Amino acid sequence: MECLLIKGKQKISGSIKVNGAKNAAVAILPAALLTEGIVLVENLPRITDIDRLVEILQALGAKVSVTDEGCMRIDLSGVKSFSPPALLVNKLRASYYFMGALLGRFREVSIPMPGGCNLGPRPIDQHIKGFTALGASVELEHGIMKIKAKKLIGAHIYLDVVSVGATVNIMLAAACAEGKTVIENAAKEPEIVDVANFLNAMGAQVVGTGTDVIKIQGVRELGNAEHNVIPDRIEAGTFMIATAATKGEAVIQEIIPKHLDPIIAKLKEVGTEVETGPDWVKVKGSERMSSADVKTFPYPGFPTDLQAPMMVLLTQATGTSIITENVFEGRFRHVDELKKMGAKIKLSGRSAIIEGGHELSSAPVKAMDLRGGAAFIIAGLASSGETCLAGVEHIDRGYERVEERLKSLGVKIERISMEDEDEIFPGK
Amino acid sequence: MGKDNFDHTMRFNVKAEEETNEAKLVLKDVYEALREKGYNPINQLVGYLLSGDPAFITSYKNARSTVRRLERDELMEELVRVYLDELEKEW
Repeated sequence: MECLLIKGKQKISGSIKVNGAKNAAVAILPAALLTEGIVLVENLPRITDIDRLVEILQALGAKVSVTDEGCMRIDLSGVKSFSPPALLVNKLRASYYFMGALLGRFREVSIPMPGGCNLGPRPIDQHIKGFTALGASVELEHGIMKIKAKKLIGAHIYLDVVSVGATVNIMLAAACAEGKTVIENAAKEPEIVDVANFLNAMGAQVVGTGTDVIKIQGVRELGNAEHNVIPDRIEAGTFMIATAATKGEAVIQEIIPKHLDPIIAKLKEVGTEVETGPDWVKVKGSERMSSADVKTFPYPGFPTDLQAPMMVLLTQATGTSIITENVFEGRFRHVDELKKMGAKIKLSGRSAIIEGGHELSSAPVKAMDLRGGAAFIIAGLASSGETCLAGVEHIDRGYERVEERLKSLGVKIERISMEDEDEIFPGK
Repeated sequence: MGKDNFDHTMRFNVKAEEETNEAKLVLKDVYEALREKGYNPINQLVGYLLSGDPAFITSYKNARSTVRRLERDELMEELVRVYLDELEKEW
């Protein structure tokens, strides 16, 4: 197994370019299935979630070649299967985008329930609601979802809860449906805008993304396209929070500052200096940070994906802060490990009460999900001593070569191999 | 006062004219970048003007930074003004 060895009491300094957005890329690759042509996707992050999606595309019959760093050419002409392999689907949550994409292309899909990070209940009822509204039947047989439609016909769909996954999946299924589909109470995340940009580049007619009403006029077929994935606001936010938490100074480049408004606001509130340019943000951490309350919400609210990193930052701020998690129920699994590092945190329902101003000390910790893992890296950098972090495979799902990128920001972090967990967690 | 009398104080709205020229340049540059990259420039610009999300605008030829040089209302003002000027000619 692999671990990260993180030297504590280090300040992040320097500049770094942000990669393409994971949450856009993981929808764009399945969306490519809607064409029988060739697509060229640029600015893809080199993360294991992308590797898994490529494996699924190849298993379905697509020919994928890497033409340049972060650039893929995908030939979809040979895709004949509408059944993604269960072993691969179970490895990542985003595999559920194959439902909408394959339903859109073949009017039929056979797929197991998706895997991914365990963040509590994440039902897909709104996805199903959308598919059935478009005329599909959905049946669950021996753990396999079988979604079929003789015809997909545009419909008016009101989402009961704002869901990024359901919004994208309905867009995919409706892109080549007959007539017009309207999604009300749609999610407004920038990654949805980017998926629509890609669909429209292929010839789809999707308007209204970025607002809560999206309209899709179905077209007969989609063609070739070239698309550049937007920058990852979560990766950018992680580096910003890490810089503030380590009281460092860094410039985060090739970003869309507008997407970072809620993070910039909270960083300023705790006393961090933040300067923004057309496509960059400069963060300068403060030696003395003050507490702040954070509530996660769908975009443009504070992103749930940055809740764990923000919690680490607030352990370093003077006073009591409260984080309220409104998006995912089970997203406090990092708290117990942070307590092992000396953080004073109490949980009460959907809220975490953080008594800040206590120095963190290194401890062996294990990431149980992607963003929790990123939080432990920040905690390790801010703590005294040397932290050994297991569960790196979760971090690799969403952060490209995390240790190399952090090293470029002047900190000491190494990836090491361990024979077994006993070496890190003796007696466990 | 005679039409060609320049002896008196006159008022020029230079700022407004500069903004108009700037809006034209921004729209032209962004339009060209979107078109060259294979996107439908009208769809993408409408999306940006409605939502304010710069993700609608390609980063190609620095168009995403260019579009942020002006506020959305300034771009919309230019679009509406030019459109109404054209309509006025037909009326």
